[in-house]
Parts: sequence; C-alpha cells; structure tokens
Amino acid sequence: MTPSRSTPVADRAPARPAPAGAGAPVGRPSFWTTRRRDRLTGYLFIAPQLAGTVLFVLIPLGLVFWYSLHEWNVLADEFTFTGGENYAKLAADPNLPGVLRATGLFSAGLVVLNLALALFLAVLLNQKLRGTTFFRVLFFSPVVVSLVAWTIVWQFMLQDNGGVNGLLATVGVDGPNWLRSDGTAMISVIVVQVFKNVGLNMVLFLAALQGVPQELYEAARVDGASRWRTFWRITMPLISPTVLLTSIITVVGSLQVFAQIAILTQGGPGTSTTVLVYYLYQQAFQFHAFGYGSTLSVLLFAIVLALTVVQWQLRKRWVHHEN
Amino acid sequence: MRTKVWLYGVLLVLCVPFVFPTWWMVTSSLKPNADIFAFPPALWPDDPSWSAWGQVFDMQPFAQQYWNSAYIALVVTLGTLAVSALAGYAFARVRFPGQNALFLVVLTGLLIPSEVTIVPLFRMFNSWGMVDTHWPLILVPIFGAPSVLATFIMRQFFITLPGELEEAARMDGLGRPAIFWRIAVPLAKPALGAVSIFTFLHSWNLYLEPIVFVQSQEKFTLPQALTQFVDVYQGPLWNVQLSAASMTAIPVLIVFVIAQRQFIEGLAHTGLKG
Amino acid sequence: MRVRLLTAAGLAALMTLTACGGSGGDSGSSGGPVTLRMTTWSANEAHVALFNEIAAEYKKTNPDVDVKFDALPFETYTTTITTQIAGGNAPDLAWILENSAPDFVASGALVDLDDVLEKKEELAPAATALWTSGGSLFAYPFSTSPFGVFVNTDQVKAAGAGSPAELRAEGEWTWEKAVEIAAASAAKSGKAGLVIRDFDYKTWDNLATVWAGWGAEAWSADGKTCGFNQPKMVEAMTFIHDAIFEKKALPAPGTSADFFAGESAMTITQISRASLLKDATFGWDLVPLPSGPNGPYSVIGQGGLGVLKKGKNAEAAAAFLKFFTNEANSAKLAQFFPPPRQSLLNADTLAKTNPLLKPAQLQDVVIDGISKGVVKPSHKGNAEISQAVRSGLDPLWKADADPKAVLDSVCTSIQPLLAK
Repeated sequence: MTPSRSTPVADRAPARPAPAGAGAPVGRPSFWTTRRRDRLTGYLFIAPQLAGTVLFVLIPLGLVFWYSLHEWNVLADEFTFTGGENYAKLAADPNLPGVLRATGLFSAGLVVLNLALALFLAVLLNQKLRGTTFFRVLFFSPVVVSLVAWTIVWQFMLQDNGGVNGLLATVGVDGPNWLRSDGTAMISVIVVQVFKNVGLNMVLFLAALQGVPQELYEAARVDGASRWRTFWRITMPLISPTVLLTSIITVVGSLQVFAQIAILTQGGPGTSTTVLVYYLYQQAFQFHAFGYGSTLSVLLFAIVLALTVVQWQLRKRWVHHEN
Repeated sequence: MRTKVWLYGVLLVLCVPFVFPTWWMVTSSLKPNADIFAFPPALWPDDPSWSAWGQVFDMQPFAQQYWNSAYIALVVTLGTLAVSALAGYAFARVRFPGQNALFLVVLTGLLIPSEVTIVPLFRMFNSWGMVDTHWPLILVPIFGAPSVLATFIMRQFFITLPGELEEAARMDGLGRPAIFWRIAVPLAKPALGAVSIFTFLHSWNLYLEPIVFVQSQEKFTLPQALTQFVDVYQGPLWNVQLSAASMTAIPVLIVFVIAQRQFIEGLAHTGLKG
Repeated sequence: MRVRLLTAAGLAALMTLTACGGSGGDSGSSGGPVTLRMTTWSANEAHVALFNEIAAEYKKTNPDVDVKFDALPFETYTTTITTQIAGGNAPDLAWILENSAPDFVASGALVDLDDVLEKKEELAPAATALWTSGGSLFAYPFSTSPFGVFVNTDQVKAAGAGSPAELRAEGEWTWEKAVEIAAASAAKSGKAGLVIRDFDYKTWDNLATVWAGWGAEAWSADGKTCGFNQPKMVEAMTFIHDAIFEKKALPAPGTSADFFAGESAMTITQISRASLLKDATFGWDLVPLPSGPNGPYSVIGQGGLGVLKKGKNAEAAAAFLKFFTNEANSAKLAQFFPPPRQSLLNADTLAKTNPLLKPAQLQDVVIDGISKGVVKPSHKGNAEISQAVRSGLDPLWKADADPKAVLDSVCTSIQPLLAK
C-alpha cells in the first residue's frame, strides 16, 4: 500500500523466473513484449473460470435450449422433436401472465424490503453504541440456519392460530390468515425470506458504511446539513458500489427462490405465489414435462439476463466511482 | 441519552423475528416430539432432554455426514478462492482482447438457477460415472455458476485498487503473476474473506444438488441428512431433525461470532467500500 | 452477443448429446455380479433393517446379487426418481406413490409382473386395481392401508355427545353424528374436533375419505369426466364446508392440530399410524369411517413396488422382487405395511404384528376395509391435475364461499387436463 512495502518486493523480483510461457529473459524486448505477456497472463488467469463456465453453464444451457425444442416424457421415454411447439405453448399458456406477475411482485418486494432493511440495520449498528457486536450476530444468525428449519418455524408462526396472530391479539388486532389469504400470502413469503437473508446484505452495508471517512461527516456538520441530507448526499453516493453489488445479488437470488414457496404456500392460494422458478419446477419435475419445463428455463434465463444488463447499465449513472 | 434508549428499543424489537426461530429450533430439540407443535409454544421445555441429540447419531452415520459437508465446503471454498481471485484480477486489471465479451460470458453463470441446469448436469456426470460421488458437489461450485459470484466480487474489489501500486511494482521489474501474488492478493484479504463466507455457506446449505447426485447414506451431506429422520410411517421425528439442524447451525454461528470483527472491519478498511 | 452465445451453446449441446447418447443400459444381463438399487421413501431404521435382512437372505441363494436401499426424502420422492430417470440413472426397483401410479403404469416405464410374482391370484382385487393396465400387473402393492377414525375417548367423553364405538355398535355411526361429536368436543376442550390428517387444505385427495360416503368421486371411472360439479360431490363438499365454518367441527384453514399429541378429538388417517399411540397419555379407540348418505364405505391408500425397464438390471431386479414379495417375506413386511395377500389378511396374523390394535378393530377396519375399499383418486398426469384442483379449491375454504360455483370452476380448469 505504501512505497516502503513495495520496495522489498521489487528487490526480490528479478530472482524469480519469467512468467508462464515466456522463455525470453525479463526486460529485453523480444516477441514477448510486456503487452503480449500481459495478454497471455490475462487469458491464463481467466482460463479455469472460463472453462468451468463453458462446461457447467453454457453447455448445460445449450442442452436446455435443445430440450426445449422437444416433447420429452421421461417416464414413457419419449423424446420427440417438435420445433417451436413449446414456444407456441408458452405464448398461449393461460397461467403465464399470473406467474410473471407473481414473479415481478415477489422480486420487487423482496429487493426493496431486503435492501431497505439491510441498510436501516447497518445504519443502526453503525452508531457508536455498546453491544452492536451482539446485535450484529443476532441479525446475521438466520443466514446460517438451515433453510428448511427456518421456513417450517415461520409456517408454524404464520398460521391462523400461530404466534404472529397471538402477538397481534394482545394489542387487540385480529390478524389475517397470513399464508392462506390472497392479499397476505405473497407478503408473508417475502418477509420470511427477507428475515432469513438480510443479515448478509447488512454485513456488506456495514462494511461499506465503516469505510466512509469520518471527516466528510464532520465537514457536513460544520456546513449545517441535516442528518437526512448528509445520508443522501454523502453516505449513499459513497456506498453506491455496494448497493449495486447487493442489488444484483438480491435480484438474481430472488428469481431463484423455490424451497420457501414449496414449503409455505405451494404456490397458493390459487396461483398467487407461483413464481417462475416454482412453475418451471412443477412442469419439469412434477408434471414430467421436461420439454416445456426447459422452455420456461429459457424464458427465465432471458429475463434474468435482461434485468442484469439493465442494472449493469444503470451502474454507469448511479455508481459513484468505477473508472 | 434518550436517543440511545430509543435505539436499543428499536434493536430489541427488531431482533425478535430474527432470533425466535433459531431459539425455537434449539429448544424444541430438547422437547418430546409431541410437545413441539403445542400451542402456545413453550419458550423453554418443561423437562429438557438431550436424548434426541443422541438419537441423531444412532439413526444415521451423522459424524460421517458432518465430515462430508465440512470437507466439501472447505475444498469448495479454497478452490473458489483460487479460481475467482485469478479471474477477478484478470478481468479487473489486465487488458486483453475480448475481455468485456468474455466477462459477459462468465456472468451468464450468475444468472442461472440450479433448477434450470440440473438435468443436463446430471446427464453429464452420469456419463462420466460420477453419480453418487462428491465430485459434482465439488467441481460445479468451484468452476461453474456458484463461483461466478465470487469472481464478480473479486473483480469489483480489484477495480478499486490504486493503479499506481502496480505501476511501481512494474517499474521494479515484477511480472503480472508476481504483481498478482505479492501485491494484489495480500491486499485482497478482506474481499477473499467475504468470498469465503459466501462460498462456505452456499456449499454448507446446498440442498437440491446433493439430493439429486448423491445416493448412499454414508455419502450424504448435512442438509440432505436432515430430511431423513423419520418414524416408521414417514412422519418426521421433529425433535431429532431439529437437533441435527441445531448441530449444523451452531458451529457456523460460533465461527461467525469469533471472526465477525475481522470480517467486517477488514471489509471496511479496503474491501467493498465506497 | 446473445446470438453468438446461443449458437456456440447449441453446437456444444449437439456434441454432448451425441457423446452421451450411446452410454447407459449397456451392462445388460451379462451374468456377472450386480448391485441392485431400490429407491424407497423410508429411512426408518426398523424398515431398513428388515429390508437388509431380506436382501442378505436373498444373497445366500444368489451370491452375485447385492441390493442397496436408497431412501429418498418423501416430499420430493417422485421428483427425484424422475430426475434420475431423465439423467439416465434409473433405479432398478422403486416404491411408487399411489398418486403417481397411473403415470408409471400407463407410460410403460415398468416391467410387467404377471409372470414374476408368486401366487399372484391371492392378491386382493381392490388392492391391485390401481396397478393394473390392460390386464397386467405392473407393481406389487406392498402397502395397502385403510383409513379409519382414531378417537380420543377422554375428550369425546368429556363433551358428552355420544361415543363413536357405541354408535358403531348400534349402526348409527354416521357423518352427521361424527360432526356433531366433533363440534361438541371442540367447543368443550377448546382444541380441534375432527382432523383429516395430512389434508391441511392442500392435499385434497385425503378428502376422498369423506366424499366417498356420498358416493362422490373426483372424476369418472374412465378418468374422462370431471366429478367435482356432480350433485353428490356438491352435497358432500357443502357438508364439509358447513362442518368447518358453521359447526366448527373441523379446524379452519391454516390451523395445525396433531391428534397424536392430544390436540384433537378425532382424526381420519391410515391405521398404520396406530404405532404413534404407543405412549399415548389419553384413552383412544379406532373405528371405521362413519357411513354417509350412500351407506358404509371404506377408503385405502397404497404404495407399490415396481421394476423399472430403464434400470440396468431389469431381469435381476424382477427376480429379487419375486423374492421380496413372496409369502414369507410379505408376512414379515406386514408388521409395517398392511399386506395385499388374502392369506395374510386375517385378524390373527395381523394381531401379531399390530399389538396395539384389538382383533375386532383389525377385522372391522383393516380386513373389511381392504377388501371393499376404494383407492384415493389418481389419474394419468396426476401432479398437474392435482395442482389445478388444489388452486381451484382454494376459494372454497372461506366462510362465505359458494360451493357450487367453486366446484364448477374446478371442473372448468381440470376438464381439459382430464381429456388429454
């Protein structure tokens, strides 16, 4: 970080052999110019990740696309090429608008609530207060608890005569049947998921907040800026890279949430909490329609891709500094 | 003073939904099976008993399964650190043709839910004779979709490194690999810490993949083992399940309690800061 | 970018497909040592010990054959074996849940067992119906378990609204009475009245234990016509709705109550659950399902055991199935799973393995139940239909619902699926 640290490193450097692939001695220009060497190093560095992506992501994805052009009944062992038939079915699927609506609601609700709560908790725990370490651990603890155990406890608490309504009753409120009413099932699923994972984002935000130089706050106070204004004008811009990172992780994660829905609502009441991944899972694994399930996978992939591209573009406008 | 009281109040109220389920999980493991869903829930069992904790080990090779999960998570974490640090560094700091396009290609891994690719992956591993081994649980996370998030985090971190450092090292005659290993990696400890936590938890809690890929009880991982504590008629033995679940969560919590200061403060000093 | 990416992926896909197209299923019946894999949904120690005992005995006469029992989580059981089949790694033998029976039986995924099973003729016809297609049997119904009503006699007595056992003896054990007793007990104890176990307002096929008393059915016997909006079904569902929301005899949606923990006065479930009462702290009794307007009836739930054609060792697997289900082993399995063999269906044999039940209860509920029972509804493409019915029935579970209208809409949504 400081020159004094890099000097000894430099002293030892020439003793080491030249980088991979370079037979030529260091320094004198040969075919292996610095630039060429750099390029080669770049390719070698990304090679494991790239090979893994091709093998474990792109090829399977290509296969999924291939399956989506077929009708594939696993039990009957039928695998018939049907061309775009599954895509025609997708366009005409009467369930699809509802599924997309539920997916949008779920993701939007989850991202907004998760990021807002994570930021709120991080700001609270960033105060100079005794015992913040203790609270930090408490808020983080659900992250390491088994998802299935976590969800089952909440299912139990959210039932009509469960803990949540018991608590509400003590203040004279007659709570709804959370998981079984149209209006509340979705929000319940979202909240359960937020409590489970908000700790991770909280920790990332906390780290970012602690990286904001105190002098900036001092300066703002001298200028007489309100707390609110300081937060929006100083804190937010400075932690924007973290906001971007967490929002991408959370959006992508929200589109992949499945076990919680399977346990809490099984997509109901009606189909109000049937999100795309759950629908895909039903079609492929429960209804044995792997071809159509694959078609839904392709759709899901396209949606996630589009969303990420949008966020990635927005980064240029929002994020404070990235070249 | 008044703000402090107010702050503590808010924190305490907020804690309830985070803590109660874990509390319930641990205390219920000390109750007889029939009492667990009694209403209203008892905050502490009338007659706490550790027998369910012992049953966990009688019913399954739980110690073996614990070891499976632990070593898989460890190998995956180390492997992911290596793969993602290399790739993240190259994408952030090295210039080579096709860089952005290749980064986008890699990013697709971030976008794929595991439900989508599980069938083709299963076919691949089956044709390589790797079903009912731990290989799919190790190889896919290290090289496939899950490690892409790590690469992304590492890239975001390396981007914020000041360029002058590398310039100076280069002037001193260091090549890229040396710059990476001696300058970038030591500075990246906080980001590597974040990646370790993400990766370890991801591997530790993996559920769908083990169920699909692993078939022998002695090769099970913990989340998979948790579903196997049932009575004669497939009714779940809740107290045993919850004992096992507690045993999977508590060590990780303890590690976090010990390491969280270094983790958060480390991140704050250099890592994903503003 | 995306176009290029997709083309590359497509090429790769073709390569992989052709590469692994030839593999799988080529180990055949070469006669060497084989390890058979049998999937079950039971990880229970006692079950596994019994299975291993049977496998060890088989190995004495067939030293080349090992059997590995692979216990999968119950909730995702069918899904997991489907994934394994799709991935080219089908189990050799598999337990099959009753609700996916038509899919497995009709798809041709299973080996015909007609020439495999010993003494096939002594299997109870009611037990084999679900597993038969075109006159051939495709799976052995290893577990055929009738539904009965467990009664918490303490709670019922305290309510003073009559005793199910006495009513049964007088021939007065009807649904009207059952609901009356349940409502009175619930009011008295503050706990639940009658719980239809595992229904939970989701697994609706368990309601068949009620509506069969009205002679109603989910769909016609040929599976082509929706039965939900037929008058008998509307009457039965209206009765259920009334029992839940007016009489408060059944717990409302989203309320859990476990009979075996003493939280309800009565429960409808399979008799095999009697073992949960080993340490019961309350008095209990077991009676058959009450009679409905259509008279007395009984309902059974089933599990089948089949050999998968796509498994690597179908022949060896079939030979093992023959051994696993022969008379001697059926008798051993009977201690956990009510057997389909009529030679074992007598109160004496069953009493040995079900010490908690009295011979009269066994005769009344189990033996008569199995011989006369109707199986819970199932259909080809069951999962999709089941899902559609579940979401279609959701509006019914509100106090102000109009049963006829809801049931009509259920039929509207499943009729196209039934006709497939």
